[in-house]
Amino acid sequence: MRVLVSWLRDFVAVTASPEELAERLGLRGFEVASVEPAPDGVRPPWAQMAAGLDGVIDFEVTANRPDCLSVLGFAREVSTLYNLPLRLVTPVTAARVPNVEVSLPVVAVTIEDAERCPRYAAAMTAVTATTSPRWMVARLEAAGVRAISPFVDITNYVLMELGHPMHAFDFAKLSGGRIRVRRATPGETMTTLDGVKRELDTEMLVIADADRAQAVAGVMGGGSSEVSAATRVVVFESAYFQPASVRRTSKRLQLKTEASSRFERGVDIHAPVVALERALELTELIGAGRRGAVVDRYPSPRSPRTIVLRGARIGLILGLTIPDADVERILGSLGLALTRRADGWNVEVPAFRVDLLREIDLIEEVGRHHGFERLEPTFPPMSMAAAPADPRISRDRAIRTTLAAAGLTEAVTFGFIQSATARRFLRADDATQLVTIANPLTALFDVLRPSIVPGLLDVLAHNRRHGRRDVAIFEIGARFTIAHGERRAVGLAWTGAASTEHWSGSGREVDFFDVKGAIERLCDMLRVPVHWTPTAAPYLTAGESAAIMAGDSVIGIAGLMVPKIVDEHGAPKQDDVFVAELDLEALEAARASGVARETMGGADETVRPLPRFPFVVRDLSIVVSEALSADTIRGTIQTAAEGAPAPLASIAFFDRYKGKGVAEDCVSLSVRLTFQSAERTLTDVDVQQSFDRVRAALVQTHGAVQR
Amino acid sequence: MSLPDQAAVQTQIASFETELTHARTARDAQAVRDRYLGRKNSVVASWMQLISSAALEDKKALGQRANELKQSIEARWAAYQASADQHARPSGAIDVTLPGRAPTLGRRHPLTLVRDRMEGIFTRMGFAIVEGPEIEDEWHCFDALNMPAEHPARDMQDTLYLATPVLGESRRADDKRTMLRTHTSSIQVRYMQAHQPPVRIVAPGRVYRRDDLDLTHTPMFTQMEGLAVGDGISLADLKGTLTAFAREMFSPSALVRFRPSFFPYTEPSAEVDISCWQCEGAGCAMCKRTGWIEIGGCGMVHPAVFEAVGYDAERYTGFAFGIGIERVAILRHQVQDIRLFFENDLRFLEQFPY
Ligand SMILES: [Zn+2]
Repeated sequence: MRVLVSWLRDFVAVTASPEELAERLGLRGFEVASVEPAPDGVRPPWAQMAAGLDGVIDFEVTANRPDCLSVLGFAREVSTLYNLPLRLVTPVTAARVPNVEVSLPVVAVTIEDAERCPRYAAAMTAVTATTSPRWMVARLEAAGVRAISPFVDITNYVLMELGHPMHAFDFAKLSGGRIRVRRATPGETMTTLDGVKRELDTEMLVIADADRAQAVAGVMGGGSSEVSAATRVVVFESAYFQPASVRRTSKRLQLKTEASSRFERGVDIHAPVVALERALELTELIGAGRRGAVVDRYPSPRSPRTIVLRGARIGLILGLTIPDADVERILGSLGLALTRRADGWNVEVPAFRVDLLREIDLIEEVGRHHGFERLEPTFPPMSMAAAPADPRISRDRAIRTTLAAAGLTEAVTFGFIQSATARRFLRADDATQLVTIANPLTALFDVLRPSIVPGLLDVLAHNRRHGRRDVAIFEIGARFTIAHGERRAVGLAWTGAASTEHWSGSGREVDFFDVKGAIERLCDMLRVPVHWTPTAAPYLTAGESAAIMAGDSVIGIAGLMVPKIVDEHGAPKQDDVFVAELDLEALEAARASGVARETMGGADETVRPLPRFPFVVRDLSIVVSEALSADTIRGTIQTAAEGAPAPLASIAFFDRYKGKGVAEDCVSLSVRLTFQSAERTLTDVDVQQSFDRVRAALVQTHGAVQR
Repeated sequence: MSLPDQAAVQTQIASFETELTHARTARDAQAVRDRYLGRKNSVVASWMQLISSAALEDKKALGQRANELKQSIEARWAAYQASADQHARPSGAIDVTLPGRAPTLGRRHPLTLVRDRMEGIFTRMGFAIVEGPEIEDEWHCFDALNMPAEHPARDMQDTLYLATPVLGESRRADDKRTMLRTHTSSIQVRYMQAHQPPVRIVAPGRVYRRDDLDLTHTPMFTQMEGLAVGDGISLADLKGTLTAFAREMFSPSALVRFRPSFFPYTEPSAEVDISCWQCEGAGCAMCKRTGWIEIGGCGMVHPAVFEAVGYDAERYTGFAFGIGIERVAILRHQVQDIRLFFENDLRFLEQFPY
């Protein structure tokens, strides 16, 4: 809302500079976008002041204050701020009804939908001139409105001054000399002032003549009854339309106007007649015409809203004591009527303050004009200990530090991605699983990500394009599918070196086992034992991808990206990019279901006693089929050692060799077996017996050959 | 042989030092020392000998020079020995100035670092940290927050809607999520539904708006919203809480200013400004010459919100605030472009500590 200071002074005799007004109103809830010097010619004869004191302040008006979409609204704020009287536009009383041009016809007004239009007033005017004075044109332009013709200018002037939208019809174009406020008929159309033919629906309110719609009520007038140079008699419309109805119509027609934005927030139900009188006064002032009769249809007058304001409640909410006299001055100045009661006041709210609905709204008004700057900072007393934090907070912090300690840097990417990309990361390329955004701003963000990985690949590609050879990144965040809803996951992507390059030359490129190691460290930290099984996924290279399992449930996936997809994300396709993703909710479920190590985590965090008896280590080297998995061999060893005299404490694979001396499809494996008993010192005989059992089982089950 | 003059003293000291510097081993150094200070055939010894054979008029001056040389070299030798440990370089010694083999460390994202710091501050003020879902229903995001359907305030939020509803984490058929949350206030609503006052929580998380990407806007950003509900909590308490936050996060002398504003879920509502810590309020580029920097919005919880979650709006009062985590990170680290947080360029991310 652009407010011209000299216009403001028509209502309140403030002498402050535009800059000061801007700053002080800025602290009363009206953010200032700009302060500009006033253009020439904006001061009519009665508004003389030094040009330097005039100016245009552009305020941002919050949605709850439609009354301040007007000079008058700001005048009221200024009068409260500076404790100055407000000069209202004098309401016309019966005693001073001016001369009326009796020869003018009178429009016949009928309201056929009083719910959508509780009040409709109209006034007749005989046209006598066709130009507006320079000050009116200049004031409108200062307010950001282009001058058009006297009668349109007058409605716009009243709009800016009082905040009440009006419309002007050419009376001759209203068939039957009638105005019917009715709903549109099925299939009815109308061409609005902007030249667009509008298809109306039966929920929309229109202003019609005897034959057809001439305006969309509260939104925009029609072209066929527009005031023109040939117009002899003008009908001013000044009405109150139901906010919800205007809002709906404006939304349906995708047509937002100065009028609709005010009506939909709520205008003053008393304003129609005041605005009409002001328009007639201006008409005669600028010599544009002579006034005729005024028609006012207001079938069920509304009574004003009364709110109880308790003095004690003001102090309780604000934490500040405000003297009663100040409360009365502030609210009185804002146009509210206060009457004393034992615990405070009965407050009658004027109809233009549509935002003041309950006691708290009045407390805000008192606090706002008393000044929030007077609040002394205090601290809320604690009456009980703080609640524990969401357990995910500490878990996610631990995940971040663990992965960062493993050399991966945290990324944050958007929760939405492109559907074409997203499809590739679904298990079966089942696009119906994607959570689609109904109103995406761009096709690049049209679905919620079903996986963290695609976003990470974009980040990886960005860094590769900027000369980064080695990229290791992770992200924790939500991912979404129709079947599983929102789930939190951690994803990682890794390409280039496995560790920082060093002059001693120990560099190595990242491989599957680096990623596996990082995930294992993470799961170990979270105390969920996992195992890995080969799996297939459309985005992972066959033979180098695995499902991460906790017990029988899949909690994640890891592997080498398909080069084509790496290429599509904009990274070189010859890059080996390893990715992994863990579903943190599946992981939590696994932990809760008791898959977690018996001796650690979950309910049982009891420490094991340190062993009292020494351990014995035996190494075993065998040649087995290459197809045999380490997990299978481990299983065979564990089964064989069960019940053996020397208990097996751990199994470690410490060497794997293929090549000279080992048959083509075979592999030489070295396994370190550690035996230890909690009850006694093991003898050589015990250990040998256990060792032999293991060896025999490997020979028997897998045809292993000892080296 | 001409008699050594004063310049010769300095020359000898200098050459002693040079030789000592070049000594590779302790043995080399001892040999240097012996050449200058040894009983026989050393520089000092030969000067001493010269005294006896010098003319009477030269004896005194020569004696002084010889003594000066002796003392200077002895002092330097003592100093050398004192630091011999550092100077010694045994054969096969390593070059300790070569780069170390550091374990590779990644970094946490700056938004995480700022969020952790904010969580720490509010935790110490007795706030619990609470998280919640990113996909929401309109009741938790709007209706419960005094924004019923058709309320003009819903236009203020450019909401992203889902094409088809998705089941919430309860997996109940009636728990259907239809939109991406536009603020983390929805977490506060969920928390109040599940807990009776007193309440003191902060709710951090990602939020989504139908916004274009530019220098200051992204369609996704992170927020931290706070809520305190109890007996007699006031707007002054909110000012105190935010002042404590500002003083720890930005400057020990920070002041907080409330500018009245409008949010449907708070009444009174205010924008929160912090006095500029760079210019102490005098006006600079960072604060756009105003002396104040806006960091968020706040207010007293609207009674309609308490009514929606079943709290006694007459008995309890409370405050709420919302702070953009990117906004805090931008101010703390002088980041010029918000998009840097989501581009994830390692050259940017690696400027932040582990
Ligand atoms: Zn500054």
